[in-house]
Amino acid sequence: MSSQSPFIKTRKPGERIFCLLMVMGSVYLFWQSYAISGFSSFSSPGAFPLAASATMVLASCVTFLNTLKLPAAENVRFVYHCFPPIVAVIMALILIYSVVLESLGFVLSSFAFLFVSIQFLYRRSVLTTLTISLLALIVVYIIFRLIFQVVLPEGIVPEREILSSIKSLWS
Amino acid sequence: MDALHYFAMSWLSPELLGLTALGTFLGIYVGAIPGLSVTMAVSILISFTFAWDVNYALCLMVGVYMGGVYGGSRTAILLNIPGAPSAIATALDGYPLAKKGLAGEAIGLSTVMSVVGGFVGIIVLALAAPTVSEFAITFQPRDYMMLGILGIMLVGSLSGGSLARGIFAGALGLLIGTVGLDPMTAEERFTFGVVELWDGINPVAVMIGMFGISEALHQLHHMNKAVIKQKISRVIPKWSDIKKYMPLSLQTSFIGVIVGALPGTGGDIAALMAYDHAKRVTKNPKVPFGEGAKEGLIAPEAANNAAVGGAYIPMLTLGIPGDAVTAVFIGALFIHGLNPGPLLLIEQPHMFWFTVGNLTLANIFVLIFGLTGIKLFSKIVECPKGILIPLIFLLSIVGAYAINNAITDIWWMLAFGVFGYFMRLYGFPVGPVILGVILSSLTDENWRRAILSERGSISDLFINLFHSPLSTVLFSVIVLILFTQSPLWTRWLKRKLFHETT
Repeated sequence: MSSQSPFIKTRKPGERIFCLLMVMGSVYLFWQSYAISGFSSFSSPGAFPLAASATMVLASCVTFLNTLKLPAAENVRFVYHCFPPIVAVIMALILIYSVVLESLGFVLSSFAFLFVSIQFLYRRSVLTTLTISLLALIVVYIIFRLIFQVVLPEGIVPEREILSSIKSLWS
Repeated sequence: MDALHYFAMSWLSPELLGLTALGTFLGIYVGAIPGLSVTMAVSILISFTFAWDVNYALCLMVGVYMGGVYGGSRTAILLNIPGAPSAIATALDGYPLAKKGLAGEAIGLSTVMSVVGGFVGIIVLALAAPTVSEFAITFQPRDYMMLGILGIMLVGSLSGGSLARGIFAGALGLLIGTVGLDPMTAEERFTFGVVELWDGINPVAVMIGMFGISEALHQLHHMNKAVIKQKISRVIPKWSDIKKYMPLSLQTSFIGVIVGALPGTGGDIAALMAYDHAKRVTKNPKVPFGEGAKEGLIAPEAANNAAVGGAYIPMLTLGIPGDAVTAVFIGALFIHGLNPGPLLLIEQPHMFWFTVGNLTLANIFVLIFGLTGIKLFSKIVECPKGILIPLIFLLSIVGAYAINNAITDIWWMLAFGVFGYFMRLYGFPVGPVILGVILSSLTDENWRRAILSERGSISDLFINLFHSPLSTVLFSVIVLILFTQSPLWTRWLKRKLFHETT
């Protein structure tokens, strides 16, 4: 929240479209709220969603009308200032990571994600990135899987067998 | 006697003691590293700790909260980058002090005064909460409903930008909270025939998306900020300094508690108000404000830590969060089966005293960690964003998965993360969304109770509202906020101010 400027004097590229989408979304949600129980009574299950979505419609309309009045910000382009390639690439990486998380398992998919994203953002030699991502993964694994006992998707790596064989080495 | 027993619980058990220490330590770093926020950390922690015993989870999260509020001051002093919004005022005089080579002294003094503020907040919480909660039992359903709306509106209007955007965000949150089976009639709401939606959208997934993913995506815009190193001298502050500034620190602590206790206002506003207060009461500062006045450093620091104790008062006694962090905290309490509200102190007084004891302990750890480990600190804060941001994404995704071991929660989290990114981009605050999600069922149920008790007549509800002084006050405040943010009022104000200046 601290990254926002308190007073918006100009509008950013895409702001009008976003606000218009909000208006349309609010209207759709209002219609869906109406579908719950109509205008039957003030205490019906749909009454509160109706009130909330009506507020959204009103507030988004006010916001949209206000952005119409604002002049466009100069020298600000959507591709560079609002949705730079770096954000798009990272979003895509996160998406791929979430898709393969369950099938590949936590260890493999997380390692791949860390390696690719750190290499992309930090830009050092492959060996450095490899070490960093491996170390980070080990720390995360120990803290969350072993100490916090969080259940993580196993995927194709037979984690439990490996863990139990390590344990049996000690005993 | 019982109270004392529960108060000391976390002090006597080595595990709880250790977790509080760990939480505080983590909190200081989370607060200090720009790009990591306490809200983000607590959201992610909820998902990892919800299977734990409630006491363990609370120890860790209370520590993170207390440490995080303090931690922001470190980077504000050393780098002129407030690590957290509550440290914005700290940077005003803290950074000039560091530039003069007094970074160590500034850190030491701010640590001690933060701890003083923290204690004032805790004492007020311990004394005031039982009284507030007794008063809160007399609240009518309509009062709760209005308190909920008021909280959302205040967060919406104070988080910068326009009230319309804040209200939009809050209403959206309320709506997200209603998804699923209606708790009163079990009718489906916004489920679109999908059985998975019957349980609703997990609030933790929304929180991690809005505060973890969207915040980290925004950090990608500022990847190339260079870090300036500072030399750090002695950290333990002079006794004469502490004695000299104690009265001011106590005054600003009380400002902090009061501001923190109001719904919608948290540590950041408390700190700015305290800074302003210090400016007014310090007649002849040794160094002018803004150029390294120690008064300007300690006032916000004492106030923002005092605000923590203050924020706990409405949270534990009314179940109403004051800001985004406390909203996330209430989410955590709900998940652990606790019901923050006026009955908490009656039904589970041990939880209250346990929390008070825990906050006290965390505050002591702030003092210990604050005055040590500076070398390690400067190493960790220099951790490049290129490594830090991928780790945030990793923890967010794993955290979302860990709530229910369901991939669906990851999709929700990602959707809200991307949506939150665009909301932030176009000046919509995300805090009210979380507040709305948390307050949704409370507001919904109390609205229906209120209207049912008037036999469904909205005019009776409106008329009877004015029979109770409390309801009248709440209603007037809501109307007042709406009015003062309307264009009519601003136009009038502008004209008046314009006339005064000319």
